[in-house]
Amino acid sequence: MPARPRCHARYETIMADAQKKAACIQFERELPACLEGELLPFVPAHARECPGCAALWSDLVWMRAAVKELPPAEPSPVVWAGLRARLEAEGVFHSPTRGWRFILAWPLRPQAVPLAVIGLLVALGVPLTLPRPVLRPAPGPIATESLFPSAPDLVTAEDRVLASLGKELETSFRAREVSMTPELKATYEKSLLSLDGSIRECLESIAAQPANTLARDYLLAAYTSKAEVLSSALEFEGR
Amino acid sequence: MSDRFIVARRCARLILVSSAYTALAAVAGAAGPGSTEKSFDTTRAPRISIINVNGNVVVRGWERAQVHAIYRVASPRAEVDIESFPPAGAAEKLRFSTHLLDWTLPGKDQVADYTLDVPVDSSLQIRNPQGSVRVEGIQSDSSVESVGGNIMVGDYAGHLSVQSIGGDIELVRTVGNVDAHSITGSLHFVSPAITRLRGATTSGRILYEGDFLEHGEYILSAYSGDVEVICPVAASYELSARTVKGKVINSMPITRRRESATPAGSAYSLLGVHNAARATVELTSFSGAIRIRPEGP
Repeated sequence: MPARPRCHARYETIMADAQKKAACIQFERELPACLEGELLPFVPAHARECPGCAALWSDLVWMRAAVKELPPAEPSPVVWAGLRARLEAEGVFHSPTRGWRFILAWPLRPQAVPLAVIGLLVALGVPLTLPRPVLRPAPGPIATESLFPSAPDLVTAEDRVLASLGKELETSFRAREVSMTPELKATYEKSLLSLDGSIRECLESIAAQPANTLARDYLLAAYTSKAEVLSSALEFEGR
Repeated sequence: MSDRFIVARRCARLILVSSAYTALAAVAGAAGPGSTEKSFDTTRAPRISIINVNGNVVVRGWERAQVHAIYRVASPRAEVDIESFPPAGAAEKLRFSTHLLDWTLPGKDQVADYTLDVPVDSSLQIRNPQGSVRVEGIQSDSSVESVGGNIMVGDYAGHLSVQSIGGDIELVRTVGNVDAHSITGSLHFVSPAITRLRGATTSGRILYEGDFLEHGEYILSAYSGDVEVICPVAASYELSARTVKGKVINSMPITRRRESATPAGSAYSLLGVHNAARATVELTSFSGAIRIRPEGP
């Protein structure tokens, strides 16, 4: 029957085409991994049998070799700017700021809190150590719970900013102390209580004797010690 | 009761006490149950850091270029990480750190005790917030820091920085430069040979027992605690003792330069020279007493 061989031949052609198509699909699927170095012997083997896939394979192998020969290229500044803007928008990092903006940016970074405390106290210390002809008396009793009792000469705008910053730092410290062990917390509380008392006494002494430089030295030392204690507390958070 | 009986009883007591101390020393020096013991070859002067959370840290200097460490953690949820640099060969840096797998562990389970024998020229950095630190026989620059633990350093030569917020600090036979600070703890200096000393505490007291070196500079400051200096009569120093509300009690012969209230407003002060003024001694307090007296009863 002549029809049967023709049908059989056609069936074989169809099957061969299907097998070829399946092999090409597998080639295309495995090609990226093979180009990245994965050991996939089917890809080069199929490229040797299939002219169409062989052309693609040889082109890609040549391009890969050519790229390796190229010197490293610096991306366009536009690319960097876009990348930076995207990272900033996502909060991965912040643009460097200067002056007061830099200081004011610190509380937003938890790791900068101890440094900000020191900065605050150094700034407080400068006006305290400068000679002044007249010192105003302390404006009433000082709150014992305050970590940074107001110095009697906190009058400039910058000092007000620093005082405000100090309150934020105090809040930050109080929020974190809950994670400390009771023993550690007790040690910090005791030392802060001692320093608060010394700051209060120093301020009272200075108010009574404005020219008492030793009391001023002790006040500055107490502020500095307090900064160190707070830094330590924030550093050993939870320990 | 006969004299012979009393002597025999004293001898027996002495033997018992000695045995007890020997046993304690053996226990402290050997790896007990649950302890881990490791040795590391190092350079002659490695940098060694111990970052602990709670527990006792003991570091002793020895002549070998090797670190021998014994440590023990109180809980399976705490572990000791050891980093050595370089990873192979004699280590230039060794870092021991206690790592808590669970930060909610109660304080007693955060304990890790360390006993290290290290090269005598090792540079140390020790942080042990809630535990005590004892360092002996080191000749290098070191810093020791604690929050609530006591710190004792003995037979040390080099630059030493010691801080404990709430713990006491005791330095015995230290040579070189020393910075010692505490807030509520006391400072005790015994037989020092320090050329530059800075010691300060807020509510603790300061006791200095020893001589002053020629050209040495000694600055001791307490806020509400007392400052006491006990030195040999032969000591030679220029003294500046000032207090805001406290008092200065000096029992050493001194040639006074100026007394009582200073122009700067300090309530009480004593400025003078004892012998040839070879050292500079500056003592200050806010409300505590300052005492200077000679050695002996």
